[in-house]
Amino acid sequence: MSVIYGWLDEYFWGATVVLKVFGVSLVMAVLFGLIGSAAKLSGNRIAGILAGGYTVVFRGTPELLVILIIYFGSAITLTTVSQAFDPDIQFIDIPPFWAGALAIALVVGAYMTETFRGAFLGVDYGQIEAARALGISNFKTFIYVRMPQMWRLALPNFGNHMLSLMKDTALISVIGLEEIVFVAEIATTVTVKPFTMYAVVAVIYLAITTVLTLAVAGMEKYANRHLETSR
Amino acid sequence: MGEEARVPIIVLEKVCKFFGQFQALKDIDLVVNKGERVVVCGPSGSGKSTMIRCINRLEEHNNGRIVVNGHELTGNLRDVNAVRREVGMVFQSFNLFPHLRVVDNLMLAQKLVRNRGKAEARERAMHLLERVKIPEQAGKWPSQLSGGQQQRVAIARALCMDPAIMLFDEPTSALDPEMISEVLDVMIDLAQEGMTMVVVTHEMGFARSVADAVVFMDAGEIVESNPPAEFFQNPRNERTRLFLSQILSH
Amino acid sequence: MTFDVFLILNSIPTMIEGLGITLKLLFLSTVIGLALAVVTLLMRLSGHWLLTWPAMFYIYIFRGTPILVQIFIIYHGLPQFEFIREGVLWPLLREPFGCCVVALSLNAGAYVSEILRGGVLGVDRGLHEAGKALGLSTPHRFIYITTPIAVRLAIPAYSNDFISMLKATALASTVTLMDMTGVARTIVAKTFAPYEIFIAAAIVYLCFTWTFQRGFGLLERYMSRYVKKDA
Ligand SMILES: Nc1ncnc2c1ncn2[C@@H]1O[C@H](COP(=O)(O)OP(=O)(O)O)[C@@H](O)[C@H]1O
Ligand SMILES: [Mg+2]
Repeated sequence: MSVIYGWLDEYFWGATVVLKVFGVSLVMAVLFGLIGSAAKLSGNRIAGILAGGYTVVFRGTPELLVILIIYFGSAITLTTVSQAFDPDIQFIDIPPFWAGALAIALVVGAYMTETFRGAFLGVDYGQIEAARALGISNFKTFIYVRMPQMWRLALPNFGNHMLSLMKDTALISVIGLEEIVFVAEIATTVTVKPFTMYAVVAVIYLAITTVLTLAVAGMEKYANRHLETSR
Repeated sequence: MGEEARVPIIVLEKVCKFFGQFQALKDIDLVVNKGERVVVCGPSGSGKSTMIRCINRLEEHNNGRIVVNGHELTGNLRDVNAVRREVGMVFQSFNLFPHLRVVDNLMLAQKLVRNRGKAEARERAMHLLERVKIPEQAGKWPSQLSGGQQQRVAIARALCMDPAIMLFDEPTSALDPEMISEVLDVMIDLAQEGMTMVVVTHEMGFARSVADAVVFMDAGEIVESNPPAEFFQNPRNERTRLFLSQILSH
Repeated sequence: MTFDVFLILNSIPTMIEGLGITLKLLFLSTVIGLALAVVTLLMRLSGHWLLTWPAMFYIYIFRGTPILVQIFIIYHGLPQFEFIREGVLWPLLREPFGCCVVALSLNAGAYVSEILRGGVLGVDRGLHEAGKALGLSTPHRFIYITTPIAVRLAIPAYSNDFISMLKATALASTVTLMDMTGVARTIVAKTFAPYEIFIAAAIVYLCFTWTFQRGFGLLERYMSRYVKKDA
C-alpha cells in the first residue's frame, strides 16, 4: 500500500482535472440539451431535423470515437490552416482538456435533449391554461409555472446523465489529458503495481459518483416535497 | 335454511390487526355459516378490506383466532395455498392478468394449482364464462373488455377453482353506473345457488335482497350485525344510523 | 484541407473486418451479462442480507466506476497477482479479448439487474394478490405473472443499455484489440485522415444502433400487444 503515498500528489491534481473537465462539460451539455430540446419543440422543420440528427448521431456513436474525431480532426484542421500562414509549424491542436470536454458534452447533451424535451411536455397543459386564465403573462408562466415543474420531472434522468458524464471523463486520458487514469498509467510504469494504481482510480471515481448520487437524491427529495403523503 | 344445517365455515374470534402502531382491526368477532351471505359495509378506512383479506391471509392477523373451512390460520400455517384455493376472491380493481387472454386467465390457476389438464381446464373455463354470460369474449385480452365484463371474468376466474367461499371487496365500486347491475346479477345468481359469500359493498339493494346478515364496521370495530330487515329499519347504533342516512340519501 | 469521400468509401470494407470482434464482444458480454443480471436480481429479491448485500455491493462498484477503468484493472491490473497468473482463469485473462468480455459482462450484469428490478417493481401489486388469492405458489407467481410483465416493462431501458454496450465495445481498442474502432485508429495512424476514417466508423456504428433500436421497438410492440393502444 505504501507505494500509493508517493503518488498522492499526482492523484490529487488528477482529480482536480477530472472535476474541472466535468464542470466545464456539464455546463456545455446542459446548454446543448436546452438548445436541442428548444429546437425539437420549436415547430420549425429545419431546426427539428437538425436537432433530430444531432441526437441520433451522438447517441449512436461510441464516446471514444467522438473524442477521437473532435481531437484529431480539429488538430489536422488547425495544423493545415496555420501552415498556410506559417509553413514552419509542425502540429497545432486544441488542448485535450477542451477537445475532450466538448466531445463528452456533445454526447451527453444529446441525451439531455431528450430528457428536457420530455420534461417540457410532461407539464400538464391545463396548468398553463389556468395561469393564462389568471392573467399571468406567458413569460411569467414560463418562469413560475413551467420551469419549477420541468426541473422536477427532468431530475431523475438528469442525475443519470450527470453520472454518465462523470464516468466519461476517464476516456479523455486516451488523448493525453493528465487526469487520474493517466496518472495511474505513469505510476504503473514506475512502480509495476498496476492493480494498486488503477484501484486508486476506481476508488476516486466511486467516491465522486457516490457524492453525486447522494446530491441528486437530495435534490429529488427537495423537488418532490409537495408530493409527500401525509399518512 | 334449517337450524340443523348451520355449520360455521368462517370463524373470527377476537381478531386484531396492526399496521405498525395503527390498529386496523379491534377484537373482531364474526361467524359465517355454510351457505350464508354476509354483507359488510362502513365508511372508508374502517377496516372492511383488512378484515376480508385476513380471511384468505392476504393479511396476517396479529391476535385472535381465524378458522376457515376447517383450516386454522395461525402464524406457522404450513400450507397457506391450501386455504386460498378453497376461498375465491374478487377485487375492486379486477386484477386480471393483462398478458393472458380471457380464457387463459381462467385456466392458469386450474392448471398450476388444481393440476387439471389443458382440455379439462378449458372446458371448465368456457362453462363459467357462459355462466357469467360472456363466452364470446374468451379469446380477447382483458384490456379489450369493459369494466363490467372484466369483473365478470374475475368472478368466473375465482369460480373455476371450485371455492367453498367467495370474498368480494367492493366489486362494483370501480364500475360506471350502467355496468353495476350486470355484475350484481351474476352475484345474485351465485347467492341463489347457495354459495357462501362475504361481500364488502355499499349496494344496499343487493344487501336487502340476498344478505342473511349485514355487518357495519367503523374504526376497526364491528359496530352492528343484524339481518337486513332489522338492520335497515331499526339500526341500534348512532354511527350506523348516521352512515345509513348518508349512504341512502343519494 | 480536403475531405475525401472516396477514402470513407474505401475504408468501410476494412472497417468491417473489425466488426467481427465488435459483434463477438457484444454478443458474448450481453449473454453472460444477462445471466449475471438474473442471478444478481434473484439475490437482491431474496430478502436475505447474506445474498442482498453482496449483490448490492457488486452493483454499486460496477455502476459507480468508468468501464475504461474496469477494463484497465482487469487487463493491466490483475496480472500483478501471482495467484491470477497461476490460476485457472489465466488463459482467459491473459488475452485482451478475454479481459474485455469479462469487464463488459460484469458491467452489463450490474446495469441490467437494476433494469430488471425496475421491471419487477413495476408489476402491479394487485396482480400478485390475485395470484395469491388463486392459491398460486411464489415460484409460480414469479414465473407466470411477474416475469412476462416485468420483461415487457424492462425492454425500453434494456434496449438503451444494449446500445450502450455496443458503444462500450469501442473501449476494447484501448487494450490493443482490433475491433472496429481499433482498426479505424490504425488506419488513421497510417493515413492521417481522422475525419474520413473515424466518420466512416461512426457510420457503421450508427447503422447497427439503428438496426438494434428497430429490433427492440418491434419486440416491444409484440410484447405490448395486450396493452390498450389509446391509453
Ligand atoms: N398495508 C397497510 N399499511 C398501513 N396501513 C394500512 C394498510 N392497509 C390498510 N391500512 C389502514 O388500515 C385502515 C383500514 O383500511 P381498509 O381495511 O383498507 O379500509 P376499508 O376497506 O374499510 O376502506 C385504514 O386506515 C388504512 O389506512
Ligand atoms: Mg377497502
